[in-house]
Amino acid sequence: MSVFVEVDQVDKVFTLPGGGEYIALKGIDLKIKQGEFISLIGHSGCGKSTLLNIVAGLDQATRGGIVLEGREISKPGPDRMVVFQNYSLLPWKTVRENIALAVDSALHHQPKGDRRGIVEQHIDLVGLRHAANKYPHELSGGMKQRVAIARALSIRPKVLLLDEPFGALDALTRGNLQEQLMRICQEGNVTAIMVTHDVDEALLLSDRVVMLTNGPQARIGQILEVSIPRPRDRMEVVKHHRYYALRNEIIYFLNQQKRSKTKFTPAAAVARHGLEKVNLNLGFIPLTDCAPLVVAQEMGFFKEYGLEQVTLSREPSWASVSEGIRDDRLDGAIMVAGMPLAMTLGVGGKPVLPMITAMVVSRNGNAITLSNKTKAAGVRTLADFKAFIDSNSGKEVLGVVHPASMQNLLLRYWLAAGDIDPDRDVEIAVIPPPQMVSTLKAGSIDGYCVGEPWNSWAVQEELGFVIATDLELWMAHPEKVLGVREDWVLKYPETHLALVKALMNACEYCDDFRNRPAILELLARPEYVGAPVEYMRPGFIDPYDRGLGQTASALRFNQFYVDRTNCPGRGEALWTLTQLARWNLAPFPKNWVEVLERVRRLDLFSEAARSVGWPDIEPPLAPFALFDGITFDPNDPLGYLEKLAIKRPFSIEEIPLQ
Amino acid sequence: MAQSSSRSKPSVNPLLSKFLEQLRKVGLSAAAILIFLILWQLFCMSPTATLPGPIQVLEDTWELIIDPFFDNGGTDVGLFWQILASLKRVAIGFSLSTIVGILVGMIIGSNRLIYDAIDPIFQVLRTVPPLAWLPISLAAFQDSQPSAIFVIFITAIWPIIINTAVGVQQVPQDYRNVALVLQLPQWKYFTEILFPATIPYIFTGLRIGVGLSWLAIVAAEMLIGGVGIGFFIWDAWNSSLISEIILALIYVGIVGLLLDRSVELIGNFFLKGQQK
Repeated sequence: MSVFVEVDQVDKVFTLPGGGEYIALKGIDLKIKQGEFISLIGHSGCGKSTLLNIVAGLDQATRGGIVLEGREISKPGPDRMVVFQNYSLLPWKTVRENIALAVDSALHHQPKGDRRGIVEQHIDLVGLRHAANKYPHELSGGMKQRVAIARALSIRPKVLLLDEPFGALDALTRGNLQEQLMRICQEGNVTAIMVTHDVDEALLLSDRVVMLTNGPQARIGQILEVSIPRPRDRMEVVKHHRYYALRNEIIYFLNQQKRSKTKFTPAAAVARHGLEKVNLNLGFIPLTDCAPLVVAQEMGFFKEYGLEQVTLSREPSWASVSEGIRDDRLDGAIMVAGMPLAMTLGVGGKPVLPMITAMVVSRNGNAITLSNKTKAAGVRTLADFKAFIDSNSGKEVLGVVHPASMQNLLLRYWLAAGDIDPDRDVEIAVIPPPQMVSTLKAGSIDGYCVGEPWNSWAVQEELGFVIATDLELWMAHPEKVLGVREDWVLKYPETHLALVKALMNACEYCDDFRNRPAILELLARPEYVGAPVEYMRPGFIDPYDRGLGQTASALRFNQFYVDRTNCPGRGEALWTLTQLARWNLAPFPKNWVEVLERVRRLDLFSEAARSVGWPDIEPPLAPFALFDGITFDPNDPLGYLEKLAIKRPFSIEEIPLQ
Repeated sequence: MAQSSSRSKPSVNPLLSKFLEQLRKVGLSAAAILIFLILWQLFCMSPTATLPGPIQVLEDTWELIIDPFFDNGGTDVGLFWQILASLKRVAIGFSLSTIVGILVGMIIGSNRLIYDAIDPIFQVLRTVPPLAWLPISLAAFQDSQPSAIFVIFITAIWPIIINTAVGVQQVPQDYRNVALVLQLPQWKYFTEILFPATIPYIFTGLRIGVGLSWLAIVAAEMLIGGVGIGFFIWDAWNSSLISEIILALIYVGIVGLLLDRSVELIGNFFLKGQQK
């Protein structure tokens, strides 16, 4: 659907009495479709009400503007009716008169009888028939707000603007009103923008939650798509498998903002040994394949290269890794392979942030686990799963760890190869890896694609079985990479080189199977993965157990060094770009050659490889195929996309990289 | 004890407890009046007293009290007619100042430029004592009747103007926003929002104004003569009828109180639905 309301590069600057300036909003850009419900959320004073007032026309943007149905807005009007925070009912008018004032002035071209009818209809809509002749001071807070909503809806605004509409109400009234508002908006296909600071309210009501960073210079920090199906029910919505992941994401964002509010400043760089910065904060997610990072720390590889003060930060989710990098809390991180590319493209409503991957840290290591329900139904192959889905009325829900993760892309590829549309026939939910097993156990999801130990954990606790490992899907696909910001590398080039070299040595160490039992002892510590050793052994040391009675040797299940594991090849990255476009997670970059050159820094890899005495040649940019045999030719990525039957419509765009 | 028990069970009989509360108040003020009268009587018992005691006053003015409606022509009329004549002047002067004051207040309240220009002048003029206006109005009108009315007018108008202007300025931004969003035409904004929102302020101004006009009329009538409670007091002084002066003072006080309360009542009627 086309854009209905557009907030176009809005800045708001207040002139201070002292002659200074306060930049409240900076570069707010937002496109809203008709019938969409948008929430603006952020800490107090972040300018969300100011933004709402600008849309209402009660306040003027200093730069940029608002476009409604293709026409620029310059002043307030009844097409953008506001439900004010403190109701703003006229105290000298009864409920009926308050609504009638709005109807009579906004719909004055309609005959009087019709206007009366509209007033009465809206009194009934919010259930205030018994109070129609009462004055506002005779009403409770909830009733006043219902009058305000009725007044706003009665004049059929194109956009309904709500400024913390339920903030002053008690929990019970608020819940009832939220449901009423939701029903009314849905029945009338009302486009609405709501300012709130209540996370649950935002999730219940919104199609998208727009999170604003703290002022001054507040901007849109993140936009979260709330894909919980409608109609929603207040009690049911919290049981949705995505609810807590979404809620966590918003709360995480708000906490990050609070932290930056208390003047969070990254530690000052400590320079030593010819390195610009030896105090590094590196992020990771508790997974077996974070081993090289743990080894580099514990076995002294970082120190060997002069990185004396490295802190490893165990992150709750991939989203928090990406935010940590974005706001400079983390110097670098072990990331899922697609993440540096996705951040560079600006996926997920975030600004473009050029990232660098100078080495791949691990290959393989994932599996697809399905629940006991499917196991009991006899599902053993992809074809079985397809038949199971076709015979099943409900939609199966599968978990992945991040939109740009190989888990998401491979799971989708696998499903699509089996003629299962990952968006239509099943539902894919983003859930942080450590929460996968408990979510499966709770029954909110029916399976997932994730790294170890979370598959073996489910198998050994008899919660599910592994239907496929990525060894079968795409042998030696890039899994985890080292991701750092491009501007960080420009600032600390020697440090980056030392970091890459230390991790290279650690990777080599990890692929010596004699070291692996000791490595698992390290990983089992609570500050790293914190999982029992026996859940991490399959694939890492032992043959892999799928939970179907037999085990199979899986020598390459976790590949850290052998077979040029660490070379950040461009072909595989290009494949990732095609898949991000295939599922419309990102536009396909017209300047893909430039994007790959910028992100996958072979030159930096070669420099490090040479200095540790490794071969530095990139494997030839040759065509390859995944398990289904469809050839990917790195010279013709769009031709490859053509060949794939199930895909979403996607756009091809030039990605502006500074 | 009784009080604390009634407070602990306010729901037993609210009407009864309200009645008792009223009774208590009336009783208390009656007692206070009684004590005051006794003290007054005691102070005036001494032979050197220059003022009559309450009993003396009652004896001297009994005829005036029991027959307020007599009319012997000229200025020799009953107290009812005297007060009525004063009230007539106040009614005319105060009505004029109400109309002019609200209009002027609305205009200067809604225009910052005019307000900033005129406000200092008003601040000076409003401190001029009512009687100081009398000579200039006598000079202007050449007649005592319109001069008295003008003094009432000029005395009452300042609080009305200033309160109205402040009221207009204090219309909450929320109400203005409602008008802006609904795109109310100018006249509708005035009748539906500006005027109703200003009413509490206007009535505050009117109450101060009516009190001031009653103060001014008594003083003005002393100077211009004719029928009126002010001249009645002056006449009594000239005839050394101190008791009559005291009676007149009590009447003036009561009428002033009634005026104040009636304006308040009218205000409450207009403020229906609004929380005070």
